[in-house]
Amino acid sequence: MSEHNQNELPPLDEPVPADWYDPVIEAYKKDVDRTLLRENLKLTVDERFRKFESFMKAVQELRGIAWKNGNAQ
Amino acid sequence: MEKRERPIKVEANFREILPLLTRHKVRFIVIGGGAGIAYGLARTTYDVDVVYARDAENIRNLAAAFQARDPYLRGAPPGLPFRWDEATIRAGLNFTLTTTLGDVDFLGEVSGGGNYEQLLPFSKELDAYGVRCRFVTLEKLIQLKRAAGRPKDLEVIAELQALLEERRKLESNA
Repeated sequence: MSEHNQNELPPLDEPVPADWYDPVIEAYKKDVDRTLLRENLKLTVDERFRKFESFMKAVQELRGIAWKNGNAQ
Repeated sequence: MEKRERPIKVEANFREILPLLTRHKVRFIVIGGGAGIAYGLARTTYDVDVVYARDAENIRNLAAAFQARDPYLRGAPPGLPFRWDEATIRAGLNFTLTTTLGDVDFLGEVSGGGNYEQLLPFSKELDAYGVRCRFVTLEKLIQLKRAAGRPKDLEVIAELQALLEERRKLESNA
């Protein structure tokens, strides 16, 4: 928590800093898989997009299989 | 038993859309999930979100880039006389479209970020798919997500903040 920005809120016409401490966000952050993030940080931007592509392709295939199975029943 | 509809093909087609926009000299900044992926976000996204510049030349280039890609208003009933051309883009601002290349959002303005010129200082050039294009910075992306104020973004903001922390740790150890 110490690494978060906990300064006073900026004026209304300015956005709060990206690292602003928000207890709601902190609650969600407990479920973030940081090992995945660390792995992604080792990749180039291009490699990250290609990894995303192959993941989405797998999702699409699974959706297709689920659809076929659903119609076969 | 009633047959279910075939699942719709959904993908954020960065591979084709980023080079296409670049080839047509469209000035744009990638925001949303695409920018998150560029920085290492481990999430799915189903469309390409970009903020485009609203000067006459850029609008002309944007119209030309997608003219042959059958753009249509996403979620609108079929058969509307929608035309993707300079007049339509000038008359509108934000367009959420289906195209033959996948779903794409062309935004003239975005909550918390303003227009292209206002977002430009908070963007950086990165290489993807053999082209160099602009992506909103990770810090600004978090601010945009926060400004959108959608409950569905809370998980994303948490992951983006975690990513920011991990990047800072890496930088401080370097």
